[in-house]
Amino acid sequence: MPQHIKRLIGVFAIFIVLFLVMRQVLKPSSFGKLGHFRADAIYENTLKPMHYTVADSCTKCHQTVRAEKDKGFHKNLKCEVCHGPGLKHSLYAGQFKGKELPDSLKLYKPGERKDCSVCHQKNAARIKIQFDTINTTMVHQIDVAEHNPPDLKANEPANCIDCHNPHQP
Amino acid sequence: MKEDVTKLSRRNFFKAGTVLASGVAIASALTPYDGLLFAAEAPGAKGKWYGIGIDINKCIGCGKCANACKQENNVPKDPFYFRSWVEQYTIKNDGSILVESPAGGVNGFTQSVPDADIYKSFFVPKMCNHCAKSPCTQVCPVGATFETEEGIVLVDEKYCIGCRYCVQACPYGCRYIHPEKGTVDKCTLCFHRLKQGLQPACFEICPTEARIFGDLNDPGSKINYFLKNHTCMVVKPHLNTGSKLFYNALSPEVR
Repeated sequence: MPQHIKRLIGVFAIFIVLFLVMRQVLKPSSFGKLGHFRADAIYENTLKPMHYTVADSCTKCHQTVRAEKDKGFHKNLKCEVCHGPGLKHSLYAGQFKGKELPDSLKLYKPGERKDCSVCHQKNAARIKIQFDTINTTMVHQIDVAEHNPPDLKANEPANCIDCHNPHQP
Repeated sequence: MKEDVTKLSRRNFFKAGTVLASGVAIASALTPYDGLLFAAEAPGAKGKWYGIGIDINKCIGCGKCANACKQENNVPKDPFYFRSWVEQYTIKNDGSILVESPAGGVNGFTQSVPDADIYKSFFVPKMCNHCAKSPCTQVCPVGATFETEEGIVLVDEKYCIGCRYCVQACPYGCRYIHPEKGTVDKCTLCFHRLKQGLQPACFEICPTEARIFGDLNDPGSKINYFLKNHTCMVVKPHLNTGSKLFYNALSPEVR
C-alpha cells in the first residue's frame, strides 16, 4: 500500500473517532429514544406553572356563593370564567381568614358594564338557535349602551351589579 | 510496492462485502436505533390519542378561552402573540367576507357592521390543530419540535434555535416567536395540566361548553360523542395534515 494512502486512512480514522467521541459528549442521552427529538423535553413540558384551578376548589370555602349560583342561569359557569385564574388564591387565601387579603391573592371582582358586555353585548354572531321562526340566544343579549344608561349628572356610572346579582342573574 | 487492482477477485470482493454487511447487521441488532422502532408503529394506535372539538354554533365570542390561555401559559400580553384566539367572520349581504380579531378576541368583540348589512356572522375559535402529520415538526432542522405518543405537538425550548422555519410551515398560523425567550412557542394543550389529570385552561373556562376535548381512542369519551352527533370538519382538509381539531358547523369561508 502506498504511503500516502496509509496516511489518508490514518487521518480518516482520527476524524471518525473524533466524531464518535464528540457525538457521545454532545448528544443528549434521551435524543432519539422516541424519535428525532429529546425525549426528556416531554417531561420538561409538564413542569410549567399552573394558574387556573378547578371549580371544586372554590367550593371548599365559598359554599354559599356556589349554592346561590347553582340556582341561577350561571350555574354552568366556572368561577374562574369571571374571576380570573385562582390557583394561588385557592391555595393560600385560607390562611388569611378574617384578615385582609394581600393584593397578590385577590381575585378580580367584575360587575362593570365592560365585564358583562363581553358575553351579553348584542352581537349578530351570537344569535344561534332557530326556534320555529324566532331567533333565540343562548346567552341573554342586550344593548349595553342603551340598556338603563347611567345618570351622568350624578356622576355615577351605573354598573350591572347595581341591579343584577351576577351569581343569580 | 506496486499494487494491482485486478488482484481483487470477484470472490474476494463478495467475501469482504458479506463480512462488512453482516457486521453492520449484527451491530445494529445489538444497539438498535430507538427512533426507528418508535416510528415503526402507527401513531395513535394504542394508549391515549387526544382530539379537540369546537362547536361554532355554541361559541358566543366572549374570548375567555384566549384570555385564559394567555394567563395560564404566560403568553406575552401584546395583541400579536397568541396560542389560542377567536375570529369573527361576517358575511355581508353583498357577498364580501370580513374577518375580525381585535386583540385576538381577548377582550371580547364589538359588532362593527350594522345588522342590516349582515347576511350571517359567527365566531371561530382557533388554536393548534395538533396534526398527526404536522408540517411544523417535519421542517425543524434540530429536532426541537415533535409529536408525542398522545398526539400532542410540543416544543423543546432548550433545543429550539429560533429559526422560524416552523412558524412559516404551520398552515394554521398557530406558532409565534416568544419575544423574551427567542424560541418558538405554541399551544401545548396545557400539557402541564393534562399530566395532573386536569383539562386545558381554555376548555376548563369555556362558559358555553363550545370546546370539547378528549381521548379519540376511548369510545365513551366526550369528543367521540361530539364527533358522532355532529357533522364535523377540519380546517384546510386538502392539506392532509391529519388535523385533530374538529369544528361543528364550519363554514367554507373559514381558512
